[in-house]
Amino acid sequence: MNGRSVLIVGAGLAGARCAETLRAEGFDGDLVLVGEEPVAPYERPALSKEFLAGAKDADDLLLRPGSFWAEQRIELVLGQRVDSVDRTRRTVTTSSGLELGWDTLVLATGARPRQLPFASPAGVHVLRTLADAEALRDELLPGARLAIVGGGFVGAEVASTARSLGVDVTLLEAGSAPFERALGPELGARLARRYRDHGVDIRTETAAAGFRETSAGRVDAVVLTDGTVIESDVVLVAVGVAPAHELGRGTEPPIYTCGDNAGSHGHWTGAAAEAVETARGLLGLDPLPRQPPFFWSDQFGLRLQLVGDTTQADEVEVEGSQDSFVARYRATGGKLVAALASNRPADVGKLRLEVATAA
Amino acid sequence: MYRIQIDRSLCSGFGACADLAPEVIELDASGNATVRVGVTDDPAVLDAAAACPMAAITVIEEEAEAA
Repeated sequence: MNGRSVLIVGAGLAGARCAETLRAEGFDGDLVLVGEEPVAPYERPALSKEFLAGAKDADDLLLRPGSFWAEQRIELVLGQRVDSVDRTRRTVTTSSGLELGWDTLVLATGARPRQLPFASPAGVHVLRTLADAEALRDELLPGARLAIVGGGFVGAEVASTARSLGVDVTLLEAGSAPFERALGPELGARLARRYRDHGVDIRTETAAAGFRETSAGRVDAVVLTDGTVIESDVVLVAVGVAPAHELGRGTEPPIYTCGDNAGSHGHWTGAAAEAVETARGLLGLDPLPRQPPFFWSDQFGLRLQLVGDTTQADEVEVEGSQDSFVARYRATGGKLVAALASNRPADVGKLRLEVATAA
Repeated sequence: MYRIQIDRSLCSGFGACADLAPEVIELDASGNATVRVGVTDDPAVLDAAAACPMAAITVIEEEAEAA
């Protein structure tokens, strides 16, 4: 590795994991973590669940106790967005004009929510940051009508939380069932039934064409491509994320990239594993054995835990009941490529080994 | 010596930790990681912490103290 100082841009999970791993594996130089949000690294997955439901507050989400970063001699520079990188002088400059130097730079800038291709009036939200979650939480009042654009994991988890808060929910999904692409049509249909049983109005094979707003400039409906009007007090746009790589990409010394901006698809565990590998690579350590991708989601009383990559699957076999089941995803020829456990947490370790062994 | 902390509210039951450091970490009946011994000299705990997708495991290296 070059020099004695590492500057990490991005204080999300990947940046935090990279910094922690550098220290844990013996890096003794200056270590600075620069974050755009004004808060220390926190647990983003809880934003759509416990935080939105009011069961956890911002302090509960912190990845590490407040004293941890100072103890580990990791300097946190928070509330500063890095706007430019000077590769010759080896500095970064933030939006407030702060200039920070580095010998090695790690870009862990993460991802930003995708937006719809038309203007969003007040009351239209995205959910990525703590501030996004606070703004949405303040509007999820009992009896409010929430329209969610996008039937992916964020949309489903917010739908679940909102129903528990007494909010009316309409979920708009472009495919024929939520999670059809991620989990296949059979599981998608199974989950759709469950959402409907919990009072969610699911509209499939449709998309938002625009918003209708009040004279005060606040959203009051989502207009669909077929002209249907969904009256709404609050809207969440949850149509995925796009990597934030305005600062460029680093693939060789002295600039590296890890996390969602490097293409770990917004999956929490991919970003974490990449960050650890980046840190180990900087220190010249061998990579750790690869673990299969892992993802989980808590929604409508189900804990879904997914190991492996379903995109390679041709067939799914499901065993168990409606709520508590295991689905095995197999490629042509029968090779196990992924497994989904629903309310079967004790089976996950075994399934992970099955998937890893088959790979 | 390594001091191990597991934040059980973060644990999502991946289970790789228990495979990598079975002397130190085991899974409970619901598949969540639990510490068997809080302080160890087994360096496998570093791999276990690194493999955790949730960053739920903290390993702090400590000077050995006289008993």
